[in-house]
Amino acid sequence: MKNKILILFAAVGLLNLQMANAQGKPYDMTVNGVKVIVQPSGNEIVEVETVIKGGVQNYPADKAGIEALAMNALTECGTLRHDKNAFKNQLDKMGATVYGVCGKDYSMIRMNCVKPDFDNVWALYNEAITIPKFDEKEFQRIRQDAINSLKEQDSQPDAAIDKFASKVAFAGRPYAQDPYGTVDNVSKLTAEQTKAYYQSILTKSRMVIVVVADLDRSVIEQKVSQMLATIKQGAPYELKKSFFRVYKNSFSSEERGLATNYIEGITSGPEPGADDYNAFYIAMRIFYDKHFLYIRTRNGLSYAPLTQFSSGSTSVAKFMVSTTQPDKYIEVFDKLVDTVKMEGFKPDEVENMKMTYLTGFYSRQETNQAQAASMAANEVLFNNWKRAITLVNDVKKLTPEQVSDAFRKYITNIVWVYQGDTKKVTAQNFLKGVDKGGNPVAQ
Amino acid sequence: MPFKFTRPLILTLVVSLLAVAASAQLRLPEGYYWKQLPNGLQVLVIENAKVPLVTVEIAVKNGAYTEGPEYSGLSHLFEHMFFKANKDYPNQEAFLKRTQQLGALWNGTTDVERVNYFFTVEKDSMVADLKFMNAAIRFPIYREEDMKKERPVVDGEFQRLESDPGSQLWLEVQRHLWGDLVTRKVAIGIHEVINTATPEKMMVIKNKYYFPNNSLLTICGDVKHEQAFAEAEKIFGDWANSGFDPIQKYPIPAFKPLDSSTYFVKEMSIAQTPYMWFSWQGPSYLTDSASTIAADVFSTIVGLNASKMQQALVDKNLASNASLSYNTCKYVGPIDLFVVPNPEKVKECYAEVMNQIKHFADPDYFTDEQLQDAKAIRLRESIHRKEKPSTLANQASYQWCSTSLNYYTDQDNNYQKVTREDIARYVNKYILGKPMVAGMIIKPEMNKQINAGSFFTAAK
Repeated sequence: MKNKILILFAAVGLLNLQMANAQGKPYDMTVNGVKVIVQPSGNEIVEVETVIKGGVQNYPADKAGIEALAMNALTECGTLRHDKNAFKNQLDKMGATVYGVCGKDYSMIRMNCVKPDFDNVWALYNEAITIPKFDEKEFQRIRQDAINSLKEQDSQPDAAIDKFASKVAFAGRPYAQDPYGTVDNVSKLTAEQTKAYYQSILTKSRMVIVVVADLDRSVIEQKVSQMLATIKQGAPYELKKSFFRVYKNSFSSEERGLATNYIEGITSGPEPGADDYNAFYIAMRIFYDKHFLYIRTRNGLSYAPLTQFSSGSTSVAKFMVSTTQPDKYIEVFDKLVDTVKMEGFKPDEVENMKMTYLTGFYSRQETNQAQAASMAANEVLFNNWKRAITLVNDVKKLTPEQVSDAFRKYITNIVWVYQGDTKKVTAQNFLKGVDKGGNPVAQ
Repeated sequence: MPFKFTRPLILTLVVSLLAVAASAQLRLPEGYYWKQLPNGLQVLVIENAKVPLVTVEIAVKNGAYTEGPEYSGLSHLFEHMFFKANKDYPNQEAFLKRTQQLGALWNGTTDVERVNYFFTVEKDSMVADLKFMNAAIRFPIYREEDMKKERPVVDGEFQRLESDPGSQLWLEVQRHLWGDLVTRKVAIGIHEVINTATPEKMMVIKNKYYFPNNSLLTICGDVKHEQAFAEAEKIFGDWANSGFDPIQKYPIPAFKPLDSSTYFVKEMSIAQTPYMWFSWQGPSYLTDSASTIAADVFSTIVGLNASKMQQALVDKNLASNASLSYNTCKYVGPIDLFVVPNPEKVKECYAEVMNQIKHFADPDYFTDEQLQDAKAIRLRESIHRKEKPSTLANQASYQWCSTSLNYYTDQDNNYQKVTREDIARYVNKYILGKPMVAGMIIKPEMNKQINAGSFFTAAK
């Protein structure tokens, strides 16, 4: 123990003296049929992410929540070697994290530790993925927690409005599902069902593994190979991408006793791999600043005006705001979009955003987790993890025309949702639309 | 006339002497460099070349603790106005344009004992970043029209807090915990004060607290300290010292200890899941820094899966979450126990929470092994905290405002020195048998079923 503490103190010291370009060159390799992406980190932290592709495409609507529960069960319901408490107590001793998270396009089992603990934490990580127990008693506990958490999310206005927007905008598509499910769905799930489901998606064909750490290639190969030895190959798998188009503006509202009102709008965005994907990404980043300027700076309409290009197998643009003046907001928003569509983005706006993108790129390089997450997302959505690194150069080549055209093409009709005081909002104002000077989406 | 020359000279001399004295005792982590300019501005340079970025941050000893009721929330409004207009960038559009030209990632925060502003840019823009910060911090312009626009923005931040059940509960707990001095602990402030703020009030804040001798400039990232110090001095060297220590001149009133415990149940229609919050007035860095360290170690022990509290509450499905924390403050930091009860077992959960608190000081409440594990966790957390260079300025300046740079430097070692006796002393002095504030937020329909007020009271 004392030696381990001394090693940890040494690790703390090393981080104080971080050298430039300490990171090595990233590479990939295939181990037992699974792509393993490795970024040597130049630090003492180990981040491993095992991705299982599919997300909401993996289950029918009435089973939404099952993948989230399965991911949580991996580390909360024991393994065949350790019961839940023994498993978690060992992790605690190493101050390490091992947990599963799920999203709309993929789930991920993460481990993060310091290098001196790698062997011991990996052993637990391996167990969680390959021999989870789904102990009945623990399962009852996490199911109850999952139900509480769903209710809790409904109490958080930002989470609640986003869920409401997804439900309305994506009705009839898998993306309408909340990966964490509904109280009704989750209440009915059993440990046995959830275990069987997990085993059905745990195939090498759905997996990608990302390692950001200073570990020898041979060590990674040996550990991953051992972990994959008992996992079945499975049928070839490809994540389906679908384009989202809004045919007319709509407005849906819910009365809620809040101190302010929450609004979200959803519209189209390019699919991963589309020619104008990068241009639209930069367009939305510039639009974020303009939206901030018009909504907050010039008109004081909101503390938190946000816009986002939400990238996924179904990519969309989102506009979010909390405001006590919803009608004034939509008036300013519509005028702003019209102006941008008519005038386009200015060359200096595009050049400045390239600079901001570069700062953000380096900022993501600061942590192993952010690097791993970016590589994983690019591999799943673009089949190209290297894009996490090369995008910075691709962005430099974009022209103002490309960026403006992408904005005109995708920002058309919008699905608007609203939670708060319904007496304060005029639905008709949200139905007028922003479609001046634009080109209808042709996809 | 001679007076005009002499006074700054004396000030410079005093400041220089202080600088010598301070630097003689100062301990810093490797790669950290400190210098005090003749005007009293302390400059901290953190060399970390992991990525080619530089973060420039200014932290000011200002925030809720400097606010009586008539200024409640105005440190925060001031922080917002920082990003509005100044002599070089006369309106917010020009200001924002400059951040875009610099490719800056930026923000500001207002806390109880610190207000800070930071811009992260590509390393070659360090000098431009320093000049930008200089214009904003020293030469702000407050216009009535800008303030009119910003008031609803700050008020909007407030309304978002009021729309969140956890924040609602926290606010109510603060009112009971700090009584008449609550404005000194809640940075978000009071609606009416924010909505009637004037440029004159902004100038009052500026003229009380915004001086080099009350600020820390941190330059962190892919920089060399010699160059960073030289540029800092060139740009900030003529920022005039106030001639007084703001915190001495405008002292923070003593927080009155609680006379008795308070229990309340608050209903909120969107609180789908009930929350419980238990708070005590904890240690102050100024009077009991040892307990601030023991507090963190004890919180870590209680968070261990093997701890009595996690086993009794989370493992037994009485709660989804139970976390104890202490917020390090120079002037009385709060100790908070936050619990998310199983909605079907709220009463049993509450009884068990009270039972756990009762045993916090028992010799067998934690094992020697758990104490060692907690210390090892603190050490590993330190490695993780240092991973992201652009956050280091923020971490160091927090301690500069609320404790000291030595405290920051020694923290990892001091956690390792904590004994059972230190923890017992902390628990006995601040928690066990001490008055507390206990609050619960719950949906009216659920409260109708369980009548929380009937059991959420002092143990009989």
